[in-house]
Amino acid sequence: MSTATAMPAGRLWSAYFREIRCEFLKSWRTPAFAVPTLFFPVMFYVLFGIFLGSMRGNADQALITFANFGVFGAMGPGLFGFGVSLAIEREQGLLTLKQALPQPPGAYLLARACMAMLFVAVISVLLTVMAVTLGEVPLTFGQMTQLFFIDTLGALPFCAIGMYMGSLVSGQASPAIINFVFLPMAFLSGLFIPLQVMPVMLQKLAPVFPAYHQSQLALATVGRGNADDAGMHVAVLAGVTLLFFLLAVKRMHGSGFRLLGAHPKRALGTAAVVAAGLVALSFSGVFGGKSTESEDANAATGAGSAATDTPAPSVEAGPPAGVPAPPEGLIANFDAGSAQSPYGIGIQANGDQFQGGKSTASQQLVEGGANGSKGALEITGEVRPGTQYPSAGAFFFPEGPPTEGLMDYTKKKTLSFYARGDGKQYTVLVLSGTPVRMPPLMLGFTASPEWQKHEFQIENLGAADWQRVRLIGWMQTTQGAFQFQLDDIRLE
Amino acid sequence: MSNTLASLTGVRKRYGKITALDGFDLSVKRGELLSLLGPNGAGKSTAISLLLGLQSADQGEVRLFDRPPQEIDARRRIGVMMQEVALPGVMTCRELLEQVAGYYPLPYEVDALIHRLALGNIASRRYDKLSGGQKRQVQFGLALVGRPELMFLDEPTVGLDVQAREALWRVIRELLHEGCSIVLTTHYLEEAEALADRVAVMARGKLVTSGSVDEIRAHVSRKQVSLVSKLSADTVRGWPEVLSLAMERDRMQITTRAAEPLLQRLFREDPQLADIEVRRAGLAEAFTELTNENTQEARS
Repeated sequence: MSTATAMPAGRLWSAYFREIRCEFLKSWRTPAFAVPTLFFPVMFYVLFGIFLGSMRGNADQALITFANFGVFGAMGPGLFGFGVSLAIEREQGLLTLKQALPQPPGAYLLARACMAMLFVAVISVLLTVMAVTLGEVPLTFGQMTQLFFIDTLGALPFCAIGMYMGSLVSGQASPAIINFVFLPMAFLSGLFIPLQVMPVMLQKLAPVFPAYHQSQLALATVGRGNADDAGMHVAVLAGVTLLFFLLAVKRMHGSGFRLLGAHPKRALGTAAVVAAGLVALSFSGVFGGKSTESEDANAATGAGSAATDTPAPSVEAGPPAGVPAPPEGLIANFDAGSAQSPYGIGIQANGDQFQGGKSTASQQLVEGGANGSKGALEITGEVRPGTQYPSAGAFFFPEGPPTEGLMDYTKKKTLSFYARGDGKQYTVLVLSGTPVRMPPLMLGFTASPEWQKHEFQIENLGAADWQRVRLIGWMQTTQGAFQFQLDDIRLE
Repeated sequence: MSNTLASLTGVRKRYGKITALDGFDLSVKRGELLSLLGPNGAGKSTAISLLLGLQSADQGEVRLFDRPPQEIDARRRIGVMMQEVALPGVMTCRELLEQVAGYYPLPYEVDALIHRLALGNIASRRYDKLSGGQKRQVQFGLALVGRPELMFLDEPTVGLDVQAREALWRVIRELLHEGCSIVLTTHYLEEAEALADRVAVMARGKLVTSGSVDEIRAHVSRKQVSLVSKLSADTVRGWPEVLSLAMERDRMQITTRAAEPLLQRLFREDPQLADIEVRRAGLAEAFTELTNENTQEARS
């Protein structure tokens, strides 16, 4: 009889490789897994991004949904591939057999993770092809590559979560329970509906979910988010991966499964080195420097502005949160003979010519303000057709030049002002945003002939990002001449 | 080179309040087929799990090729066939065999193995399209493909038809002839009789007896006699031919070493005796009985 033959390194490597191949074949040949994970993200993108987006002239939506459905696609293979399969194979004895057989240490986990990443890679490529061809989304090669890496590596946190869930639940219950995590997480991370239109409470909850952080990374890549936070998002995702991975390993170990072989610490050490390498790689190569980010952002912005009805210029990248608002509540009372405000750039009338429109507006100080005060500001003008959403009015940029400044108003409670005028319906506009450009918050008010106070509680206005306010405006959007006066504008 | 391939020495293993193994000793010698027998709950599965490194002993020593069985180098010398395992149904037999062959340093050629086990007609079929018996044959192939020095086979012939079982037994004998060692757990007395060099009988977490099949056969000369009689159970229980007696509804279940004299006496005492069945006691039953006697002896 022979004594033990040592395992040649070449055979060991090919065992790992074969394990990955088998795992991929297994998943590929299981329609209940392969069809939904591959088909749903692409189908949703075609529906929301292309049919309801680019084909209706909303290029911005085609871009944002492209980034978000890539993240959606990254969630499924990991969650279901690990969660359901691990639960079933744990129950049905395959895992036990593999452990009794000399399966190389960690091969089971490695093969599954690679399978998930391969599926995500396929999804990412399919989405990119759809976006570039049908969606006509203008993507640079750099952006495509970055998104590909964000999506593919982004499968890992979901692998870890799936693995933990697979270690807890029964095989039969696992699909339902994992769906119960999968779909709400996708929704609450803003993958389907922009977070900005959700109640504030849900917006605040979003950073709990790894999909949110991955979505922010993807959006930053296409110029719809804040690239400066990339490090934080990557750190959160890496932390989530590690946490759930360790929880799952511990749990499985408790049931007698040594997923990492006889020397788990050695295996963990190897994994840590590989992970550190990946993170380093992603910081240096994948997420790139800030300069490339803003170039990409500008490249992507060009096509994306027709969608929104903002009179302000499209602005993307900016500081993570706005400058804290000064303590004083007053923005302007026009009593000192000017339209200046204690902070920010004062109130300025504007039409929509900068958007290619023909609407006009001008302002002048008048006497006889609200509550017997000395002065007020009168805005007159005319809204004329010429752009998709014609508008004109008066605008206030709280912090510095309009293309950069953001102000954090989260400490304030109430926005109030007095108005009187021609009896028409007007709109208060709050433009906020970064990392994502938010849809503008629009509040209606009527400029009645007598002075009237209008007051809005900020906490009820979830659809604006009050931490990053760019502009507050009072504007007319109905065609025709208009005239109204403003006084005693406060945000306190 | 050590002649002992695998061993359990003074092993204790508890699950909560249940003691699965209670000071258990077992060793597997090179080239032998050791059949591990015992009733359900005797601790067979626990003993095998420990030898495969799937669990750790609370006390005592477990060795596989002079290493802890958790070491992958030790397990690269064994093959395993488990009783309850669902292999991935979407893979073909050949793919499964190739995958497992890849775990070993010097496996059999997959094609040669397919030929040897006569799996040629199902090699490229998906596993989930196979019959229960065919699945067992593939699982046996997975245990063998790594050219193991020691194979663990748990109920290898469950679900096989007579021909397939004979074929499998033939392969097992060939393997033994080639020097492979085998640990076989089975409920089939005939299987142990047909193949085993040595039989180890377990009950209640302990080794009851071990020896050659012939030695063991002496223990199972007892028979079960089942009948309907109007004699009282207590009377019959007192007869010297009767080892034990239990009533199941109106049937008497008698264990005896002397079935013929017992029947003659029964007919004498009760000519209306009806519905008689005589069968050889199952090995597991016999040894459960044996351990009962052992325990009683130990008490007295």
